[in-house]
Amino acid sequence: MSIRRTSGLVGVLSLSLMLAGCGSSSEEGGSKASEKAETRVFAADNGKITIPADPKRVVATGYAVPALIEADAPLVGISSWKRGEPMMSEEDLAEYKKLTKVAGEQAAETNYEAIAEAEPDLIVIGVPAPVLGDIDVKRLESIAPVVAIGPSLPSAWRDLSRKQADAAGALEKFDAGQKTYEAKAAELKTKYAGVLPQLKLGHVGAYGEVAKGNFHREFGGSWGTNITEDVGATYYGKVKKAGPGSAAVSEYPSIEELPDAFAEADALTYSVNADGSVSEAVQYVLDSKLWKNLPAVKAGKTFPIRYTEAATYGSAMNTLDAIDTSLAPLLKR
Amino acid sequence: MTVAGRASGPAGAERTVAPQVGLLVGGLVLLTAVAVLSMGVGAHPVPPGDVVRALLDYQGTDNHVIVRDVRGPRALLAVAVGAALAVSGALIQTLARNPLAEPGILGVTAGAGFAITIGSALGLAAGQAGELGFAVIGSVIAALLVTAVGRRSPLRLVLTGVALTAVLSGVALGLRLMLPDVFDMYRFWSVGSLAAREQAPLALPVAAIVVSLAGALLLSRALNALALGENVAQTLGAGVGRVRAAALVLITLLCGAATAVAGPILFVGLIVPHLVRKPAAGSVPWLILYAMVLGPVLLLVADIGSRVLLPTGEVPVGIVTAFLGGPMLIWAVRRYGAGSL
Amino acid sequence: MNTSKLKVERRTAVLIAVMVALMLCLGLLGLCYGASWASPGEVFAVLTGADRSVVISDWRLPRVLAGLVFGAALGVAGAIFQNLTRNPMGSPDVIGLDAGAYTGALVAITVLSGTSAQLATGSVTGGLAVAAAIYLLAYQRGFSGLRLVVIGIAVNAMMTAVNSWIVLRAELEVAIAAVGWSAGSLNGVSWDDLTIPFALIAVLLILMTTRAHAMHQASLGDAVATATGVGLNRLRLLMVLVGVGCTATVTAVAGPIAFIALAAPQIGRRLAGAAGVPLLPAALTGAVLLQGADLLAQMLLAPVALPVGVVSTAIGGCYLIWLLTKEVRRA
Repeated sequence: MSIRRTSGLVGVLSLSLMLAGCGSSSEEGGSKASEKAETRVFAADNGKITIPADPKRVVATGYAVPALIEADAPLVGISSWKRGEPMMSEEDLAEYKKLTKVAGEQAAETNYEAIAEAEPDLIVIGVPAPVLGDIDVKRLESIAPVVAIGPSLPSAWRDLSRKQADAAGALEKFDAGQKTYEAKAAELKTKYAGVLPQLKLGHVGAYGEVAKGNFHREFGGSWGTNITEDVGATYYGKVKKAGPGSAAVSEYPSIEELPDAFAEADALTYSVNADGSVSEAVQYVLDSKLWKNLPAVKAGKTFPIRYTEAATYGSAMNTLDAIDTSLAPLLKR
Repeated sequence: MTVAGRASGPAGAERTVAPQVGLLVGGLVLLTAVAVLSMGVGAHPVPPGDVVRALLDYQGTDNHVIVRDVRGPRALLAVAVGAALAVSGALIQTLARNPLAEPGILGVTAGAGFAITIGSALGLAAGQAGELGFAVIGSVIAALLVTAVGRRSPLRLVLTGVALTAVLSGVALGLRLMLPDVFDMYRFWSVGSLAAREQAPLALPVAAIVVSLAGALLLSRALNALALGENVAQTLGAGVGRVRAAALVLITLLCGAATAVAGPILFVGLIVPHLVRKPAAGSVPWLILYAMVLGPVLLLVADIGSRVLLPTGEVPVGIVTAFLGGPMLIWAVRRYGAGSL
Repeated sequence: MNTSKLKVERRTAVLIAVMVALMLCLGLLGLCYGASWASPGEVFAVLTGADRSVVISDWRLPRVLAGLVFGAALGVAGAIFQNLTRNPMGSPDVIGLDAGAYTGALVAITVLSGTSAQLATGSVTGGLAVAAAIYLLAYQRGFSGLRLVVIGIAVNAMMTAVNSWIVLRAELEVAIAAVGWSAGSLNGVSWDDLTIPFALIAVLLILMTTRAHAMHQASLGDAVATATGVGLNRLRLLMVLVGVGCTATVTAVAGPIAFIALAAPQIGRRLAGAAGVPLLPAALTGAVLLQGADLLAQMLLAPVALPVGVVSTAIGGCYLIWLLTKEVRRA
């Protein structure tokens, strides 16, 4: 802390100098490239934003954190992103731990001064649009151009992480990661072509709340289902009352509605923790007599899936492996 | 004097007790009706015929499972918790001679909930015995603290309870923000609910409630004497100190056990004794009996409300009782007016 | 008689001087403290315009001023209601005005689009409605402060339940934002958020200062007050309006900040050794308390800032219990 404070004084001073009209974007960036100050216009959630064509110092928050770490973007500060930790590769995790944290898990815990101190030339915010209200975007804009690219549908991470990487000028590594993923997904799709596509599937997600006595049902295109769909699975049904964002593809019915939800399913998948343990919310469903009454459960066709929170191509590789391990019994017959 | 005659004179009881027995039976019928209704209402509609069949002729169909294994335990729990809270409220009001006394308002519930949160964060309150233990310890400490600070004035007692509840909730929220993983349980204990308890092992707390309720009935005669004033009590031979101590033990046990299974549920202990005070006509045994029947009715009704108030999902029952309880407290203050304050 | 009055006046003067000094110190500390420490010299350079720093002049300064001004406003609102009810528990946060104002703000967020004008209108309307309801319910063959307090506690419980219900009904993402707001926070406050509220609070405080003498008399007893010709009912109405206005304005910007309104007037009164609940010590103590709590909230978990409401609840609640303990010992 004390080290950061002394160096921070320099930060505040240089920031004030910068805003007083000096114009150079950062100390390290004082090379020829940024003196020319090449910029481009980027379409984000918060409008058309003029950003540096080749950003040198990027601050990322929310969903942009794992995406930009994977894409090797030039990060100088990130928000805390605990839910992504178990899915990061060792190298990325080390990078994540090393980077300065400039915001907490929640948008309201954004530390503007810490962001200013990191002297970014680009800020990429990866939070859902309604939560943007918790962030003083104007204040961030006084530090550096702000691009908000928040999650919408849970399955939209493919486009969003690409946009985030694009803004941060790190597409090269990103595209390589995407190719690896798509190749692996195609390989698995062929492997399971004989058994998976013809099944009517249902999914129990991890975000139910035991205290409320509900369970989390995910339909196609949701967190727990979108990667399995890449392997050729189909999830049936749709939400009773579609809402914005994730509410369009998942819902939280009472445990009493378990039979109504899954009676038609040939097989069921459910989200488990990264270490393979079953979360409280899912265990509550698995222990219910109504669950044990379901035809798919009686037939023994239930499959736990790890790493369902993946929102980057790198972490989704883990998910593909997990799906392959879990679905293997289908091939045995 | 008629009051004393009714409760302690067995000969007099024969004559005057008939309408009260009638009322009690009526209450029991109401309780049964509400309990059956609560097993029929919910996210998945179950026709009344199926409810009865599930109870009498269990076939294991989905509807039967819902009634017997999801809503049945929940209704039983509502009965136990409702009775526990109502009787502990009746005991506190009798003991403190304060119509505003209630375990929730006096911070006893908050103490129990906070102790469970701390206990589970330390990894000590695992299992039903651990939770019950922490809940009872928490409610004892809170009860002692609040009575020590707030004695002498009914209003000060209430104020101390409110302050204690505020401090504990502030500290719990702060701890949760600082150590989110450790204090994850906070969400569960911050608001009272009866949902999803059907799988939890509840035998021990429910047994504790049943035993304490029986104890309260046994003690009610002595409390009746106490209610007439300590002098009268002494001449009638009730050991004042012992009776008070026993009542305090019962209050904390009931409140602690109810909080351990359902989280903090406010106001049930306040409303019910007020509703049954008139028919009980000053007799503590009847007050406790009526509270034992009406408490469950109230909590079952609030629990049904908690299931139908939102288009999807549930309102935790603690929120429903707080909303129902506010008007009751206002009514009690206006009724018992400045005199008792 | 005269000497004791003089003594009180001298003590009050000393108190005011000490409090103002404390306010300045805490304010300066707030301007220096942040992700990076700025020296007082640098802060002065920025304040006098010799140097420029957006962080200090546009980020830290509004937050520090908000802490001081809102603290003072809450302290005055608390003093007003404690005078009206003649009870230390009669403060706006205990009797549900905060919760009511928050209900209004929640409606503005969830039903309307939640612009700052709607937030302000919503919370003032909510606060006034709750105040009116409590007053009407507590009025019963005369007016009792104690009855009002307990009815206020009941109304508070109901409004809190209503607030939880609204949050539960709302869309998930909006609900998350609203929950984050429920503890009251000054994080990210900027000049834009503050101009109207500061103007409003200034008007209300000036209005109250002109009637402070009358209020002090009224608090010494209705009989004396009527004898000195105070239009008691009009005065009461004005006091309620100022009190609700202050509470609701603060709630609209920062969310419900608990217990400052309760604790500040009582601490100020004890420090001043005065009869009744005087306004100026309450305002100064409130400013010191809120600014202190906000600094603590920033430091406890740095770099992540806690909502100031969490800190003020814990501090205020402990203080209240201590207060009650002391009264028991004296009794």
